[in-house]
Amino acid sequence: MTVTLPRRGTMVRESWLVVVARNSVAIAAAAIFVAPFLFVVLMSFMTSDQALTSNLWPTTWHPGNFVDIFTKMPMFDYLVNTMTYALLATGFMLLSSIPAAYALAKLKWRGSTAVFVVVICMMMLPPQVVTVPLYLMWSNAGLTGTLWPLILPMLVGDAFSIFLLRQFLMTIPGTVLDAARIDGCSEWQVLLRVVVPMAKPGIAATAIFQFFYAWNDYYGPLLYTSEDQANWTLSIALSQFKTLHHVEWNLVMAATLLVMAPVVIVFFFAQKAFVQGVTLTGVKG
Amino acid sequence: MTALLERPASVADKPPRRRPARRWRHRLTVLSFMAPALLGIGVFFLYPLLAAVYFSFTRFDLLTVPRWVGLRNYTYLFTQDSVAGQAALNTVWFVLILVPARMLAALLTSMLLVSLKRGGGFFRTIFYLPALAPPVAATIAFVFLFNPATGPVNEVLSWFGVDGPLWFDSPDWSKPSLVLLGTWAVGDLMVIFLAALLDVPKPLYEAAAIDGANAWQRFWHVTFPSLSPVLVFAAVTGVIQTLQYFTQAAVAASVASGTATTGGGISSTFGYPENSTLTYPLHLYVSGFRYYDMGYANALAVVLFVVAFGVTVVLLRRFRAFTGGAR
Amino acid sequence: MSRRPCFAGTALAAAATLFLAACTPGTEASDDVAPSGQEAKGSIEFWHFFTDREAKAIDDAIAQFSDAHPDIDVRVTAGQDDAKMLQAISSGKGPDVGLSYSTDIVGKFCSSGAWRDLTPYIERDEIDLEQFPATVRSYTSYHDRRCAMPFLADVYGLYYNKTLLAQAGYTEPPKTMTELADMAKKLTKRAPDGTIEVAGYVPLLNFYEHTPQHIVPGWDAKWLTADEKSAIGTDPQWQAMLKWHKDLVDWYGYDNLQKFTAGLGDEWSADNAFHKGKLAMSVDGEYRVAFLTDQAPDVDFGTAPLPVADDQADRYGAGFVTGNVAGISANSKNPEASWALIEYLTTETGSIVGLSNAIKNVPTTSDALASPDLQVDEKFKVFLDIFEHPETSTTPPNASGPKYVEMAQEYVDGYLSGANKDLASGLADLDTRIDQALDLGR
Repeated sequence: MTVTLPRRGTMVRESWLVVVARNSVAIAAAAIFVAPFLFVVLMSFMTSDQALTSNLWPTTWHPGNFVDIFTKMPMFDYLVNTMTYALLATGFMLLSSIPAAYALAKLKWRGSTAVFVVVICMMMLPPQVVTVPLYLMWSNAGLTGTLWPLILPMLVGDAFSIFLLRQFLMTIPGTVLDAARIDGCSEWQVLLRVVVPMAKPGIAATAIFQFFYAWNDYYGPLLYTSEDQANWTLSIALSQFKTLHHVEWNLVMAATLLVMAPVVIVFFFAQKAFVQGVTLTGVKG
Repeated sequence: MTALLERPASVADKPPRRRPARRWRHRLTVLSFMAPALLGIGVFFLYPLLAAVYFSFTRFDLLTVPRWVGLRNYTYLFTQDSVAGQAALNTVWFVLILVPARMLAALLTSMLLVSLKRGGGFFRTIFYLPALAPPVAATIAFVFLFNPATGPVNEVLSWFGVDGPLWFDSPDWSKPSLVLLGTWAVGDLMVIFLAALLDVPKPLYEAAAIDGANAWQRFWHVTFPSLSPVLVFAAVTGVIQTLQYFTQAAVAASVASGTATTGGGISSTFGYPENSTLTYPLHLYVSGFRYYDMGYANALAVVLFVVAFGVTVVLLRRFRAFTGGAR
Repeated sequence: MSRRPCFAGTALAAAATLFLAACTPGTEASDDVAPSGQEAKGSIEFWHFFTDREAKAIDDAIAQFSDAHPDIDVRVTAGQDDAKMLQAISSGKGPDVGLSYSTDIVGKFCSSGAWRDLTPYIERDEIDLEQFPATVRSYTSYHDRRCAMPFLADVYGLYYNKTLLAQAGYTEPPKTMTELADMAKKLTKRAPDGTIEVAGYVPLLNFYEHTPQHIVPGWDAKWLTADEKSAIGTDPQWQAMLKWHKDLVDWYGYDNLQKFTAGLGDEWSADNAFHKGKLAMSVDGEYRVAFLTDQAPDVDFGTAPLPVADDQADRYGAGFVTGNVAGISANSKNPEASWALIEYLTTETGSIVGLSNAIKNVPTTSDALASPDLQVDEKFKVFLDIFEHPETSTTPPNASGPKYVEMAQEYVDGYLSGANKDLASGLADLDTRIDQALDLGR
């Protein structure tokens, strides 16, 4: 399922005119996709006064904005909160979901189909449906106002991750596993010594998805931490920047870039695993 | 009984049935793998679903004990709460416009990529990039870009003599603005379509070319039928995602309104302007966590569940259809 | 075997439902009050919503309290908002004493018992409630249950830019709505293409502090009837008020106004449009005086009461008031010490005056208002007078909190944009919807 662009051969000869037209369309589309980023970057270098004009180009470049977002507001705290949430959630998810995905993909047991269907239902359930009862549960546990209600459930599996990991594990040939079993490995040893090393790309993709999900999550932190600013994540803080810290678009855009940056950087390092993961969610699943 | 007749197969393919002790050991092994997930299904899926149904028949405000009120929440929902109707219509609007718009954009960009002779990888990355932008960040960026007074979009439009609309500040344009945002971030869907397009068997194109089919005929008779399972799948999952559409609408409203009086709380601006961006999940959130009508919020949740479950059943059917059963 | 997981899940869910039923929050507080003359002691927790500079002023007041009551140890937590307090109380935790910025919660906290009834303490210690204006008394109790005491108040009036008024030939602020509309038009400056550059007065009712709540006192329009039904559809003043605004919106052009306001700086930043001279007149709270002095010392401005409807000249001087409120949580283990703190913060003249001077809010007791130590200049004095005006009013407390205000707000926005056309029937429909919504919260 690697996405390599095709050489469709020479069967349809195309005139150079068509090729030029196609490339022009591609370049125009690329310009549209990139333009918002460009304008955001430009705005992030403006002064507050300029931010309130309709100028598109900064008359004076003001890189100090990127310092201001750390000094005028507790950006660093938000960053730490977001990192804590994303890293713990990802780690816990892997611990709980890899074994479940393995059992669903590679072990025969009655009821596995039923459980897998339940996992799909859980994955498809709009989170808002179960929001109130879960909120009350965490409230009784005294954990609302913190990010724990978003982190702890990862210890007992995440439906989407189980689903995605299972899809990856299905592609591992059973003969390899059987060979390990004949060598006397227990199922746990098969998982840890054979399956995990073979499924590294899939596990990496799932981990990246989970990390991004937590990094981007707005609904969860809004629900559990909106009353407690000390535990806000970047998403919540960013949405409240303008009204909370009484700043103009220039600082908001500088902060916006800062929130985008890690995601883009991770993507460029793990592009292949990432694209493969996206593809699996849509084609096989 | 039949177990004796079975051929010894690989350990993984058949549960070993010869001796009870082994069967139990196998069960225990499975359980050791599945236990956390089964606990999760119980605590975070089955329990809250049942509890939501129970609470939907109560009046409950967090501060006092839930009081059984029978069907009152449902009566209010279906016969009195005009905002719920408005919110449901907003969500239906997004289902009908946002889902097809994203699919069309994904189809066009992926077909463009497939047709490129060189530079495909470069353009694929560029087209995909917006999908990476965190939704909150992307939404804020769009509200800034489309700011009617200082935003670049209306500024650029004015060069061509066009007096741009109010975008996120107008009840007529706020939803279309969100559709533009969703279409911009179409990369994930595009990658899926791209993979499916590359899976179309090449001999089919060659045969069509020999038959003298033009580009449109090739698309309609070769590409489209091969792609249709993926399209249906994308449509169904798109509908489910849109039923939960929350973040972009919430953030666009709170940033565009910009008038939140201090202490009003984040949710006080949801729906701005004039409830035009108040989707069904947002109404649920506001009912539960702004007005603390927890019982009513659960009634809204139960209705949402029924709808989402219906769509999921369609999805599961589909799923069986092209993977030959869930396994 | 295949039924196992379902079974387990169902059993678990059933068990959890029982567990839930057993420990859903219920707030019961005994109203036992010690006889007078005993000194309270012990430690209490105090939550308030102030931050930064204002939180320091609170700390100073608490330090003074500790000097007066050495046996009471107060642990202060700053920056706590209402939602968090409600959440904490519902899960059986939270502060002994809470300070809220909003009177919206009074109806809910009184009716649910989340805050204790203070009457026994008030009667025992012979606190004179007459020292608070009637409106202030009304927003701190609900259905005869007094569960809160007023802390400091916010009062709303009209700010005007003297320089801009002088350029148009005015020396005095408007006193009636007709004057306000005329002046707003004359003071507005437009670019050749029709874009607004300076607005005389922005009539959109969701702009900065210009909201229905803050301006209905100028029209004497009523929110709720005595039996807590919506009065909006039946009170003719609502229609008069909204038509006046709609006329002015139409004069500007709705789209022009939206474009203008979308390009203005944030209300709470130094770029506030009034600071920048982009608004000639604006409705705002008394705290804006301090902001202007601090952030825009060059702006030559004056303050005045809100203009009133043309036929209500005798009501000129009244305005909108709201305030901070303090109460004792039902969970408090030490209500006596909690009461001592509330009594000190809300009735001790020296403490109130000190806080008012520090954060430039309006003090609530008559002694504090008359205190020679209260720092008052002519701009601030205007707000003290509005506060004491007998016709000054607020939004009535309700068990559903701010719901009815927000439903009205949403209708009004639609009317001013032109989406809601038939005003009379629209307001009547709004009445029905508000009544039904309030009924849901009962």
